[in-house]
Amino acid sequence: MKLKVLPPTLRKNNHYFVVDVVYDGVLDKGQLVDVIWDGCVRFWGEMETSNFNLWVMRFVERGSFLGYSKYRAIVRFQRGFEEEFRAALVCINNYRHNRISFVCVGIGGTIKSCVDKYF
Amino acid sequence: MFFDLNIVGNSFEKNIELAEYASSCGWDHINFSYSPKNFEHALNFKDDLIDRFLDRDMAIDYTLYIKSKNVGNIFKLIKKFRNKVNCISVLGGDLRVNRASTENIRLDILSRPYFQRFDSGLNHILAKQAKDNNVAIELSFNDILSSYFSYRSKIIANFKDIYTLYDKFHFPLIVSSGSKEIFDIKSPEDIRSFFEVTGFMDFDRSMECCGDILDYNKNRDDFIYKGVRRVNNEA
Repeated sequence: MKLKVLPPTLRKNNHYFVVDVVYDGVLDKGQLVDVIWDGCVRFWGEMETSNFNLWVMRFVERGSFLGYSKYRAIVRFQRGFEEEFRAALVCINNYRHNRISFVCVGIGGTIKSCVDKYF
Repeated sequence: MFFDLNIVGNSFEKNIELAEYASSCGWDHINFSYSPKNFEHALNFKDDLIDRFLDRDMAIDYTLYIKSKNVGNIFKLIKKFRNKVNCISVLGGDLRVNRASTENIRLDILSRPYFQRFDSGLNHILAKQAKDNNVAIELSFNDILSSYFSYRSKIIANFKDIYTLYDKFHFPLIVSSGSKEIFDIKSPEDIRSFFEVTGFMDFDRSMECCGDILDYNKNRDDFIYKGVRRVNNEA
């Protein structure tokens, strides 16, 4: 049996970051989730990261850039934690002994607005 | 305007890659830093580099980055290069270098005073000197990026000590990326977020400081005394 959907006033308010990822290797969506969670937990700890309500909504490959793989993703997070989440993302610098870089391209209130503007 | 006064300079092609990526991230002005040894060589392709980014509205300049623990040598290099370069930066860390740098009005930036130290490398005396002599203190984001766990925590602790002194003495405090490759270059808003969550709320002021340093050095010869400038036909 599925849980009934919460009424709007009890739901969490989400925002979405559009993130550019440059990686010296090949990355899939599961690995991106790992990197983001690991980065947040390392920077903020388990307690603070629990507030972020992270979810990777979209993940697309955007070819190569100077010989490195380039990806773009939409990452959901809880409204009010923009700076904290962004700071944690920026501090991620390697994954499986390969360099990785996150640059936040933009922020939106809905997935649709992010897709329309940045994809 | 977003300024990054310390991107590690390299060959012409490498600089173009870094500058293109920095431009796409939203930086308006970047400075490539060179050691005194490589600076003369880098001047050969400076004009080509600037021309290449004119249409993108991104300005490029050079910083002289002095790494020496010999104070006399530092003064000698500052004297030699002062008229050739808009921005001179000295790597800190050594207490004598930190002290001599903050006392020298001909110097623009004391970079990373906490470098390889167990403390921030600054105290109230150096902070006052930096304010009086208009020497900016530089925090490098690359120190955070290239460290992890306890090392990163200690560097953030050093940053926080410097913020405390900044709040009291208001010396020029600037933020730079210290990038060596494209993985180190972040957008200005990302850098702002990081410094805001660590406790530094004056990111905009630090960008203004960078602009002030470059503007001041364009007219440095005209300054007779602090607050007194020779003007020509400005009436």
